[in-house]
Amino acid sequence: MKYEPVIGLEVHAELSTKTKIFCGCSTAFGAEINTHVCPVCTGQPGALPVLNKQVVHYAAKMGIATHCTINQLCKSDRKNYFYPDLPKAYQISQFDVPICENGYVDFEVNGEPKRVRFERIHFEEDAGKLLHDEGDGTVVDFNRCGVPLIEMVTRPDIHSAAEAKEFLETVKTTLSYLQICDCRMEEGSIRCDVNVSVRPMGSEKLGTRVEMKNINSFSAAERAIEYEVNRQIDVLEEGGTIIQETRRWDDSRGKNLVMRSKEDAQDYRYFPDPDLVAVEIDDAWLEQIKSEIPELPQSRYARYIKDIGLQPKEARILSDAYDKACLLDEGVAMGRVDSKSIANWILSDISKYLNDKGLELKDTKLAAAKLVDMIEMIEKNTISGNAGKKVLIQLFETDDSVDAIVEKLGLKQVSDEGAIQKLVDEVLAANPKSVADYKGGKKNAIGFLVGQCMKASKGKGNPKMINQLLSKTLANM
Amino acid sequence: MAITRENVEYIANLARLDPKGKGFDKIAEDMQGIVSMVDQLQELDLGDITDVIDTERKNAMREDVPVPSYDKEEILANAPSVECGGVSVPRVVE
Amino acid sequence: MELYQKTAAELSAMLRNKEVSSVELTKAAFARTAEVEDKVGAYITLTEEKALADAAAMDAKLAAGEALSPLAGVPVSVKDNICTKGIKTTCASKMLENFQPPYDATVMDKLNAAGLIMTGKTNLDEFAMGSSCENSALQKTRNPHNLDHVTGGSSGGAAASVAAGEVSIAVGSDTGGSIRQPASFCGVVGMKPTYGTVSRYGLIAFASSLDQIGPFGRCVEDVAMLTDVLRGYDKMDSTSYPREYESLTAGLNADIKGMKIGLPKEYFGEGISEEVSKAVLAAAETYQQLGAEVVEISLPLSKYALPIYYILSSAEASSNLARFDGVKYGYRAESFDGIIDLYVKSRSEGFGQEVQRRIMLGTYVLSSGYYDAYYKKARAAQRAIRADYAKAFEQVDVILTPVAPTTAYKVGEKTADPLQMYMGDICTVSVNIAGLPAMVQPCGFDSDKLPIGMQLIGPRFGEQKLVNAGLAFEKASGLSNIVAL
Repeated sequence: MKYEPVIGLEVHAELSTKTKIFCGCSTAFGAEINTHVCPVCTGQPGALPVLNKQVVHYAAKMGIATHCTINQLCKSDRKNYFYPDLPKAYQISQFDVPICENGYVDFEVNGEPKRVRFERIHFEEDAGKLLHDEGDGTVVDFNRCGVPLIEMVTRPDIHSAAEAKEFLETVKTTLSYLQICDCRMEEGSIRCDVNVSVRPMGSEKLGTRVEMKNINSFSAAERAIEYEVNRQIDVLEEGGTIIQETRRWDDSRGKNLVMRSKEDAQDYRYFPDPDLVAVEIDDAWLEQIKSEIPELPQSRYARYIKDIGLQPKEARILSDAYDKACLLDEGVAMGRVDSKSIANWILSDISKYLNDKGLELKDTKLAAAKLVDMIEMIEKNTISGNAGKKVLIQLFETDDSVDAIVEKLGLKQVSDEGAIQKLVDEVLAANPKSVADYKGGKKNAIGFLVGQCMKASKGKGNPKMINQLLSKTLANM
Repeated sequence: MAITRENVEYIANLARLDPKGKGFDKIAEDMQGIVSMVDQLQELDLGDITDVIDTERKNAMREDVPVPSYDKEEILANAPSVECGGVSVPRVVE
Repeated sequence: MELYQKTAAELSAMLRNKEVSSVELTKAAFARTAEVEDKVGAYITLTEEKALADAAAMDAKLAAGEALSPLAGVPVSVKDNICTKGIKTTCASKMLENFQPPYDATVMDKLNAAGLIMTGKTNLDEFAMGSSCENSALQKTRNPHNLDHVTGGSSGGAAASVAAGEVSIAVGSDTGGSIRQPASFCGVVGMKPTYGTVSRYGLIAFASSLDQIGPFGRCVEDVAMLTDVLRGYDKMDSTSYPREYESLTAGLNADIKGMKIGLPKEYFGEGISEEVSKAVLAAAETYQQLGAEVVEISLPLSKYALPIYYILSSAEASSNLARFDGVKYGYRAESFDGIIDLYVKSRSEGFGQEVQRRIMLGTYVLSSGYYDAYYKKARAAQRAIRADYAKAFEQVDVILTPVAPTTAYKVGEKTADPLQMYMGDICTVSVNIAGLPAMVQPCGFDSDKLPIGMQLIGPRFGEQKLVNAGLAFEKASGLSNIVAL
């Protein structure tokens, strides 16, 4: 029998606010144990939470960007359970009235359009971190307690590991476009739980669902889903039944194990947090949030193919990276140079530099206007393409203008026809053998002669002009 | 509603209380009476009044501005057991 | 007349007239405490050394003419569920027996800024759960009017400290009557302010949506003065109202001609002792003589207040008290096998019976399958009760009721049956459910010479009406500044 996997995801993203969701402690990653702590985030008796406005703003922003309905009146609820990383023994989250509901994202999988719907997006607080010491104890670091999260819950619209991976990439790109999450996977800023079931192909009825936790990267999600789908199919093929349970993914061993069965299902006793009041996003606030949402990747992707004439692959690379897309769009908006040329510079030399150095655009000094200045100089034959690469390095690393860099490095091309003609004449005179070869039909001998002219010009001769004048002079000889 | 011993143990487990603890039998015994008292509410017909989001107060929020944190020592001063700069508990595996 | 027999209002005037220093007042307070504390047991912790140092500093400021609050230099006791930085805050529980908070509650900041001198931390029913102060795991407090009787609760230590002359004013907290009922039992004045007017930041929560810090005093003016210090917007408490408050003390006015006073018929029937009913109805007559109009009103949902209260307060308590798990602070069991056993043993050994009972009830009403029938229904009923009061306040300015079915009962009389104890809250809980202000003051004595109190309930932010009505009765009856022992 053929089976169809049915997959739903719960994605947690840490919001890039400066402070925690309910107190003024820093959210910075990697601090010394228990240094970003206060009575509120460590659940000291009597301490009370006060909601960070930016969290509401960011959560609504994600909701709007993913076509959700925004619940303009929502509230905070307590989810009660005991665990050492949860100092209040309840997590402040949202239960029956989340800030965002019923959205979707569109993306492509192997060139085919795909839509995954969101059931909800809500805000909540992160828990602390448990550190296992060498002995038989566990030590609790409260620094992460109260770092704001949004949880995004999808409908069971995903039917393969590949779709799940593309969906996650789309979510990540959207978060980075909205600038509401650092998207540092290695720091756990995006995590997900996966719900997997399988059903006979063509069946409408959903199979029994298994939840998988401890998935720490998108590729791990892909592997975990592949594994779980196959495991469930094997069970069914052998005449067994799927048990509703929670399994823990072990990425290093490439398998999952039962964490808890449905019988120990938690009874979280959600109820409205009496320490917090209702959140109302009025129309003016909502409009403000909407106005901050940039053109999203899907739309830029289409535009890059249609307007700039990029290949889908190129368009995808640029539209996936918000900073690169912005650089491109800013440059294009100036209307001074060929758009495709800007795209090519970003796709090649700029990307290579950033990759090699392990930097992001914002870590460098490169600005769209200077990039355009540089490309314009190439287009006007003021400098060569090679010289442009040298200029680019300086644009990353210094505040100098393109003019100043070209001047400083002496990169200006010689495009004076008289001067080049003089060079050509000298080179031809000095290389009679090559001239003879050329005249004798060895047309590629011109390459050597061009090289000699460039060398004579100390690399500053306009190669196009050298080519033209050489051909013309040789023809007349 | 009738409260069975099973109910009591389920609730005690959720609340992390010991149903076999000292004096707990009395608590279990009292539960029925207390639940019967609060059950009086069931006879009240509230018509169309339902539980809604309380809008008496709205939008008590803070700006995203950092406030200095406390010293680790102040926060850990009351902890029954501290190891390596954090409160320590028996090994938790999940 | 000894210093300990004076009201805070009188002490304030003496301080301002330089008739006495804060150090003298503080010494007098501790001298009186030394005399009676063995019998009364109002305090869990006394902070004499710090109080004397604070008083000396305050005297220096007063001498330098610094503009301080009217209560600057006056000693005050603080209920031991209000966090005091570096000073034990126990909630009268074995769970927090040695807990020293890393921060001060907002009301402590306010008391300190206003220059009041804290004498120590007073006893309460464990985590403020109880109505007699007998649920304290750490201290026994007795009614200064008769040491065989209870003080009421949960702020029993606060009420007793004022009634016994240890202090003239005290800070307590009220979730379902925890200021008002002990004020009534001990013959002092106490007020639960409108929910959201006094910051809860640093008050160790029992039921967040009902808890409110409030004052005790020997007379209405004391309570007005201390309320002026305590209330005010706090950005650390999301449920605190961002508004300005005018001075209640400055607005005190005993002329209540034309004031409409409502007597809800539901509060004078079955279950309320005849002596109590009679005393409160006599107070209503006094009001009529003073020119107020007394009208009978109805609060039809009153009979459901008790179930609503026990559902909402226990539900919140079950969650609020979950943080006491033996991990971060407080009691940890000596031996345990794994983390769950650590939780279970620490909590079962650290919490007393009443606290465990409330946690059980609260967990039950929130648990899967029961939430709608109990918690959700109680929340809806809470809205109905609010509407009931709103309707009543369209007709009247204040509402006059008994505080408790009886006067202070004997120690041990009700400890065996929690339900019987809960019934004692019947007159006070609806005020918390509705978030209203209410003040209690003495209106007579029963045949055993135990005080009888009356309760004035006001509309939201109607504290001025309460203190004015209270002052009028106080002047007419002479029932003020009653110091026992």
